[in-house]
Amino acid sequence: MSIQFTFSPRVPVFDANVRVGDLHYQPSPCRNRDQLLSEMDRHGVEKALIYHAQTEEVSPIDGNGFLEAWLDGNRLLPQWSMTPTPDSLAQVQALHEQGRVHSVRLHNARRVGLPFRPWSCGAMLSWLSDNRIPLWIPLPDADADELATTLSAFPELVTVLVGAHYSHALWVRPLMTTLPNAYLELSRIEPLGEVEALCEEYGAERFVYGSWYDRLAMGTMLFYLHHTEISESDLELICAGNLHRILQGEGRHD
Amino acid sequence: MIEEQRVIDFHGHTGRLDLYNGADDPDLILHAMDKVGIDVSCVFNIFHPDGTTGNDITARFVAEHPDRFVGFAYVSPMMAEGMVAELTRAIDELGLVAIKLYPPYTQWDLNEPIWHPIYEFANERGLAIIFHTGSDPHSHPGLLADCAANFPNANFVSGHAGNVAEPRAAAIRAAQDYPNIYLETCSTFRTPGVIEQLVNEAGADRVLFGSDIALMDSRPQLGKIITGDISDEAKRLVCGGNAARLLGI
Repeated sequence: MSIQFTFSPRVPVFDANVRVGDLHYQPSPCRNRDQLLSEMDRHGVEKALIYHAQTEEVSPIDGNGFLEAWLDGNRLLPQWSMTPTPDSLAQVQALHEQGRVHSVRLHNARRVGLPFRPWSCGAMLSWLSDNRIPLWIPLPDADADELATTLSAFPELVTVLVGAHYSHALWVRPLMTTLPNAYLELSRIEPLGEVEALCEEYGAERFVYGSWYDRLAMGTMLFYLHHTEISESDLELICAGNLHRILQGEGRHD
Repeated sequence: MIEEQRVIDFHGHTGRLDLYNGADDPDLILHAMDKVGIDVSCVFNIFHPDGTTGNDITARFVAEHPDRFVGFAYVSPMMAEGMVAELTRAIDELGLVAIKLYPPYTQWDLNEPIWHPIYEFANERGLAIIFHTGSDPHSHPGLLADCAANFPNANFVSGHAGNVAEPRAAAIRAAQDYPNIYLETCSTFRTPGVIEQLVNEAGADRVLFGSDIALMDSRPQLGKIITGDISDEAKRLVCGGNAARLLGI
């Protein structure tokens, strides 16, 4: 395959990890929905699952409200954020009653000392599992032991582990082995040859493409995924097929 | 090769870093390079303050594939008495072609006098020096201005181009002020707009593609350049034109 200075994806792309809106300490380079769609067009991305930046460190409840202005009912699909409090659970349950919840993202309560344990998060995790709602978990905020032990107690809950970095290199295989209903989002998988190695070891059906735009540039991992030994059919799964299946509540490996 | 442009990766490591599952497996490195058209990767070893141990590892690594890798010499002021002798050996006997320095592994800011024998050596020979640069005080790229002013025949490369916003802005200012300062692109942060900022503010002729292989796969790092919103002519310079000129290869 000849390499060129221009790149566009060969397969449909559904980005599993896009952040919109301003952080409290950092304005986003992408100011509105039209700019986001333009950036997606530039990189050949058809659809994106989006969450609001305010849900990361300020308020998942308010951030979910701010997300509404970014949705377009077509290419930009909502990912609601959640923290294990009654108010947050009630907000997401109300959205679920409207048929609008197809995935949830875990807010980082660990930064104020609340661990990710069954005694602290059990009600939330039970509800998600019972309703076949997949949970996105950002690894930069997580503890490996909490993930392994807590998620093992909810074996039917589908999770997507987000943002594994080279500093998580020693976590990835034990977690993927211990948690058969966990998927790995690939925005920061940078160790040498790791995408091909992981797909070989676990199968392409365990991975989803995400850019983590606007934290990271949108096109880089797409370029990477298109220059590997991964087959075209597996590339289609990673870039869109697996995510469609997960969001339809069909992510369980059972 | 990309569209007849020779592609040179200016930032790579030899040795293992098992904490991050990083290993200098030449087959894996060459596979990644081949998949995206990288012709040559520059490599160095920063894990041994004597310089000698790591430079020998680098030379052996390069010798296995001399058409695909070039080696840079590493020394440290933590063992300052041997720096110039080791640089002389590494360049003249091992065939390494440039210098890598890593201020976070030392006790000194990169413009302090203890580093000057290295800069004098590079200045006499017209060599390039790539530094780790970032937000820590020893490695702040704003300090490169001092070096560039005092050693005008050496070329100073800000590795990672400072990595994050404030040091990156300082790196760009230094490159604007001194023609012998260059900015290298590898960074795990992959912040949107950085490649465009470097090219637009410092000039495409001052930016060097780097990947940090084998700590990181070279493919996403090259992807930053290819998918960046810059001209094809700028991509040619960044991907290899500038490095070929700087290294004389």
